[in-house]
Amino acid sequence: MASFSERMAPVLVLWLAMCLGATWAVDRGNFKTCDQSAFCKRQRALKPGDSPYRALLETMELTNTRLTLQLINDNNKVRLLLELYRLQGNITRVKINELKPLKPRYEVPDVLIRDPPTEPLSVLSQDESGVVLSLGAESQRVIVSVRPFRLDIMEGHDVLMSLNSRGLLAFEHLRMRKDTRADPEAEKKEEADSADQAEATKEEEEKAEEGMWEETFKSHSDSKPNGPSSISLDFSFPGVEHVYGIPEHADDLKLKTTDNGDPYRLFNLDVFQYELYNPMALYGAVPVMLAHNAQRTTGIFWLNAAETWVDISSNTAGKTVFGKMLDYVQGSSEIPQTDVRWISESGIIDVFIMLGPTPKHVFSQYASLTGTQSFPPLASLGYHQCRWNYNDQEDVRSVDAGFDEYDIPYDFIWLDIEHTDGKRYFTWDPHKFATPKEMLQGLLDKKRKMVAIVDPHIKIDSNYKIHNEIRSRGFYVKNKDGGDYEGWCWPGNAGYPDFTRADMRAWWASMFAYDQYEGSMENLYTWNDMNEPSVFNGPEVTMHKDAVHGDWENRDVHNIYGLYVQMATAEGLVQRSGGVERPFVLTRAFFAGSQRYGAVWTGDNAAEWDHLKISIPMCLSLGLVGISFCGADVGGFFKSPTPELLVRWYQTGAYQPFFRAHAHLDTPRREPWLFGPENTALIREAIRQRYTFLPYWYQQFYHAYRTGEPVMRPLWVEYTQDPATFAVDDEFLIGQNLLVHPVTEEGARGVTAYLPGKEEVWFDIHTFQKHNGAQNLYIPVTMSSIPVFQRGGSIIPRKMRVRRSSSCMEHDPYTLYAALNARGVAEGELYMDDGHTFNYEKKEFIHRRLSFSNNVLSSVNLVPDSHFTTNSWIERIVLIGSSKPAKVTLKTADGIESQLEFDFDASMSVVTVRKPGMNAGADWTVTLE
Amino acid sequence: NKMLSSEMWIHILAIALFCCGSADSRKVRGISSSYKRFYREKKSFLCIDGSKLIPFEQVNDDYCDCADGSDEPGTSACPHGRFYCTNLGFRPHYIPSSRVNDGICDCCDASDEYNSHARCQNTCWNLGQRERAYVEGQMRTLDEGLRLKQQLIEEGVLLWREKQAQLRELQQVAEDLQIKLEEHRRKKREADRFKEQTLRALKGGDGGKSFHLKNKTLGGILICLFCNPYSISLDEVKAEVVPVHDEERHLGDDEAMVLTTTESAKTNRTLTCVLAHLLNTNKKFTVQGIKKVSFCWVLICDLQKKLAIDYGTDWEFLFLNGQCYKLKVYEYMYTLCPFNHITQKSTAGTEVSLGLWGMWAEPAKNRYNQMIYENGEPCWQGGSRSTTVTLTCGTETALRSVKEPSKCQYIMDFQTPVACQPVLKQRGVHSEL
Repeated sequence: MASFSERMAPVLVLWLAMCLGATWAVDRGNFKTCDQSAFCKRQRALKPGDSPYRALLETMELTNTRLTLQLINDNNKVRLLLELYRLQGNITRVKINELKPLKPRYEVPDVLIRDPPTEPLSVLSQDESGVVLSLGAESQRVIVSVRPFRLDIMEGHDVLMSLNSRGLLAFEHLRMRKDTRADPEAEKKEEADSADQAEATKEEEEKAEEGMWEETFKSHSDSKPNGPSSISLDFSFPGVEHVYGIPEHADDLKLKTTDNGDPYRLFNLDVFQYELYNPMALYGAVPVMLAHNAQRTTGIFWLNAAETWVDISSNTAGKTVFGKMLDYVQGSSEIPQTDVRWISESGIIDVFIMLGPTPKHVFSQYASLTGTQSFPPLASLGYHQCRWNYNDQEDVRSVDAGFDEYDIPYDFIWLDIEHTDGKRYFTWDPHKFATPKEMLQGLLDKKRKMVAIVDPHIKIDSNYKIHNEIRSRGFYVKNKDGGDYEGWCWPGNAGYPDFTRADMRAWWASMFAYDQYEGSMENLYTWNDMNEPSVFNGPEVTMHKDAVHGDWENRDVHNIYGLYVQMATAEGLVQRSGGVERPFVLTRAFFAGSQRYGAVWTGDNAAEWDHLKISIPMCLSLGLVGISFCGADVGGFFKSPTPELLVRWYQTGAYQPFFRAHAHLDTPRREPWLFGPENTALIREAIRQRYTFLPYWYQQFYHAYRTGEPVMRPLWVEYTQDPATFAVDDEFLIGQNLLVHPVTEEGARGVTAYLPGKEEVWFDIHTFQKHNGAQNLYIPVTMSSIPVFQRGGSIIPRKMRVRRSSSCMEHDPYTLYAALNARGVAEGELYMDDGHTFNYEKKEFIHRRLSFSNNVLSSVNLVPDSHFTTNSWIERIVLIGSSKPAKVTLKTADGIESQLEFDFDASMSVVTVRKPGMNAGADWTVTLE
Repeated sequence: NKMLSSEMWIHILAIALFCCGSADSRKVRGISSSYKRFYREKKSFLCIDGSKLIPFEQVNDDYCDCADGSDEPGTSACPHGRFYCTNLGFRPHYIPSSRVNDGICDCCDASDEYNSHARCQNTCWNLGQRERAYVEGQMRTLDEGLRLKQQLIEEGVLLWREKQAQLRELQQVAEDLQIKLEEHRRKKREADRFKEQTLRALKGGDGGKSFHLKNKTLGGILICLFCNPYSISLDEVKAEVVPVHDEERHLGDDEAMVLTTTESAKTNRTLTCVLAHLLNTNKKFTVQGIKKVSFCWVLICDLQKKLAIDYGTDWEFLFLNGQCYKLKVYEYMYTLCPFNHITQKSTAGTEVSLGLWGMWAEPAKNRYNQMIYENGEPCWQGGSRSTTVTLTCGTETALRSVKEPSKCQYIMDFQTPVACQPVLKQRGVHSEL
């Protein structure tokens, strides 16, 4: 609408100022390089070498749960306190803080789901050069070396990981500002402190470097009342050439070395039109890295919410394949090694070293610390139709009707910011959305749902209830001078609630109650956007680092703000139903632990083929660090996709966890039926395939909720010893059993998929054609092709009656697709529950093991004390790769046997058993003779 | 689905030739009476596409045996099947099989939810009544609309003739003036040449000649500006020439008279002011003559431009030219001036062009169904605003709705009797009621 340009004029001007200049692509000048970030520059100037830190063994204390030890920096005599814990599940925690900081340093709360349970440590040996501690079984030890200080984690004769082996431990201790000693009290205090610290008397005259006490970027100045406070530590992984994780970056799955450029940056930012294949920071940050080789997978969780940079270098990175081969032939060669260095602006060093040894162990270790993926409502795994914006209720009604007219299923329709009354969240535009409940009821009548956006910037307007309440309760983030922090965002001038406060979050959650959030109903869910937070006129389009959240600066808490927003919102949705219903909340910003609160999307991408491609590694990286519920805007947010790109994106998105189409306000309409009957049919088919697999998706999410394993996973997670899989990121697995290689090239005539596993066979899910594992398979494709393979040895339950929405399919029967492996065996699971409540926590579900061996397919209850009943039944069994039986017999729990009819397709060796008819929750066997 | 059904029809025809007799079968759910013949109860059932023979018990047994879905007309078992809602009292129709027993009432006779939790009421009678009332209303509207349309056509024809006459008249006037002017010029030129020669004889120099050329060019500019109906818009002229207010003062009686003969006062005023302005700067030389000729040309061009527009087979849309229709939607006032332009004015007062008359869209169905207005105010991220106006039959001429489904792309619903088509009436008569 023209309304946009008028109402949003001020914001628009800002936005234009931000984004014009470069016609497309990100304006890099808006975001800092390491050189422009004073602490990063200082830290990176420090090169590998001998560490000035020395362990003071005489200060060592070992209790049952932890070891403490002081470290001293021989250059400035400042002492640090090292704490070492052995945690249950093969995790070692290393904490380093100042022994006596001038004031407390920030330790990130609310990320760990509990105080991690410890296990006893014991000293194996000790001399003046160090201590050897046992990490329990498996001959794992930690060696603490005294001079220079370093930690080596060993298993047998192998070093798994070393800390400070390159001497990059650097801890900027808090200090008084030398040039402006205005406060005599503080001076006295410092003197007292230094008196305490006998050795600190010789403290080097600190070099007052630029950027330590103040820093400017573009027109923004960062007052740094606490001065320099950054920390750094290096980690070495001998024998490792592949490291992954530390999302969010628009980059390949396998992390690259950063020697010749900037480090990977972790700092939640609203990046306008982000660029691909570089280490720039994006909307979210999960400071978790996985290191993998054919023998072992390990992980590092760097629990710090401040701006963080990660440098990666490798001694093999520069080598050509030939060079590596030569090394191999000559048998000489140094061992490959990857070195990593973490730098954060403030806080403490708090590292969890997850020792695997397998990827699944690492997932479970990380899950034991930060929790697992929340189990989403089943409907949220269906298709989501979004656009900025559906204009009014009539628009919503007609798009909804369009899905019925074109017979395309969907579960959620979304409303972006324009649905509100002047960008006042929790309100509705009085003209365009005058009767929201009527609209929601209309959707409910079709068993469909809606998501409306609620962003964490609050319009400063004394006629706006939410603002008044936040202001009167003092819940806003403060600026450095103690007033309410204000910034520009969609509504114009806005305040930012302090979500780090538990009382603020509780109040926020209460705003989602049906009687508070007017016009809301049980089928209305929430989307938190702009929660980095985005501040249009702030430095790097975010909040000033010297803004104040209670006792802490935004500098300390920045990366966790978005997590808190989603946490409070999800809690609100839970509470409004009295704790009965599962929430669904989508967030753009995230941190370690965000998996507990809902879904994440990859932000404002673009309608370009490369953006389609990058959606795979971006979601794979998130999955590796616990966030399974990931998706990219189908079609691309900015710009307008060609019909071919749109179709390919639907085909890809249909096999990614969070499946939502979204489009920018300025783009032409792109509902699935607007591109001619052929494209409509292709999109319909892709979405329908998604719906047939919903039982499998749901079961995968249940599994992710239970174990922390990613739903969408890289090949190497399952084929840990096959180096050919280590860098693959143009295809992926869903669970263990589906391999997807979407077509992401324009005009593609074929794709080459790597089918992993020497022992494996893979079956095309459409044709049932069989392919051997451990090969690169060329697959000719047409516009209708979505190359997807089912692993031989698996059983996948599907619902083949695709209806208007997932809720309409609730009672539908299942078809079991059993793909036999080379030994004629297959296994799978069937999980179901009511799909939307927390009753699964009370074991109100059906969870069965399906297995086929010796020509007998059986269904066995995996959780005997579970209780749930279903009307769903087994309507068909498809045995792929089976020989022709003479007869097929069903035996039910009551012992009754009956003959079943079946078809046999000799060309593909597929037996289709007709209508066995048993209840999906029952025990039964089907025997082929 | 649609392809399948056309295939099905071929088979139906083929099979229908062989099948005769009309032994009534037991009730098979989800089929129309014309399909009953395929579902006569016997030992086996042949899928309608002929692909498979199955035992009759497998018809509607909630398992899909036939690739064409024909064995399960009454269940949700087949992915591409369809279910027939008899909807007695209303319109019978097919729904996709996937809507059978999905908990949502689709058939007004509730027949699709025979085994679900949905409590569906039979609403066919009400719907039928409503539909009949609606169709009757439509019929009345159509009758009335067609009557009004006839009137408007007659008026249109008259208007067309009037305009043509005006045009001829103007052309005649212009020609006469041109001749007079040429004569005047010739004399002047001779006089000038004489003067020039005299002057040259005195000092040399060529000021008079260039002056003459300048004026000739001016006339040329005017002609090409206005006689090129589609290459240049009024706004562009406005942009090129600074308008002068109170231009009427510069007009002689003749021009004032001509002015009154045209109906689009606003347009003419602008043109006149352009003219007047240009002429003011050159008053010394045959002011009256140039003014008159050029002005005539302007009017001629304007008329020609107007008459070049396609006003329908019977000039029935001609009367819309010169009218404007307004509609307020939320905080905006929209103004549609058919064949001219569309604007949007906010309560704050800013007016934005949503497009200038472009053309008739040409959907296969009806040549005069949709108008396209384009090249409105530029949009933030490139392109310019445009509007598609759909004409619908009604007894009044009015703007009914405005939407902006995508940024800067507007859709208007414009009702007018001249959009009424006799075809509609026939379709109404054949509706299945």
